[in-house]
Amino acid sequence: MDNRFERQPAPSWGWFWQAVTGVGLIVLLALHMIAHHFVVPEGLRNFDEVVEYLRTPIIVVLEFLFLATVTPHALLGVRAFVFDFGLSERAERRVDRILTVLGVLTIAYGIWLTWTITQWKS
Amino acid sequence: MATQVYRKSKLRRALIWGDVRKRRLGMLAYVLNRITGHGLVLYLYLHLVILSMLAGGPSSWDPFIALAKSPAFLVLDVILIAGWLIHGLNGLRVTLTGLGIGVRSQKAMFVGLMTIAVIGIAAMALAVFSKG
Repeated sequence: MDNRFERQPAPSWGWFWQAVTGVGLIVLLALHMIAHHFVVPEGLRNFDEVVEYLRTPIIVVLEFLFLATVTPHALLGVRAFVFDFGLSERAERRVDRILTVLGVLTIAYGIWLTWTITQWKS
Repeated sequence: MATQVYRKSKLRRALIWGDVRKRRLGMLAYVLNRITGHGLVLYLYLHLVILSMLAGGPSSWDPFIALAKSPAFLVLDVILIAGWLIHGLNGLRVTLTGLGIGVRSQKAMFVGLMTIAVIGIAAMALAVFSKG
């Protein structure tokens, strides 16, 4: 009988990408926190300030990079946790597909929201 | 019956990392990384839901900003910063040791990085509350 507990751990590409995105996040999250909270006089931006902030091209690039890094990092963490349940290979593939779709939707939502805000006319 | 035992074992196997009794420092560091990781994933999606208020314009966003400057929200900010620093610095240790760097001194590295995290949390807490 197949003992699933004795199977080799999941392929290490998940660990590799989580490490790469994790190192990237140390820089990107620090920039995100500084730009959003620590350089703003009262700690948080009101709506008009958010619109002005997001209309700066370099900020849009920075925010996109942040979202495109934090999302796979978070979902790879969820993947590692779920895989610890000792799933079958079929179930693992299904989890991979679900998390990929969730990741794409998350990034797409971030892009849509940024675009919506920058197009706001007061 | 066998299926039930197997399912129970799978659950136990997945959750056994959460049992910190009689664990060494390395396992505690692993548990700490998982707990902070789960918290940060939860925060990421909560953050995206909150940001959706921006799509509603100033009438939706600006009242929330007034609420977000309340002491209770600032405490949540500090908890977020704590999770970020602990997870980030501990994750850096995991990455380095995973690459074979500093494996023998990983306990000292953990203590050193967590000391930096505590100093960082205190400094950022001061910055958050001085602006709140």
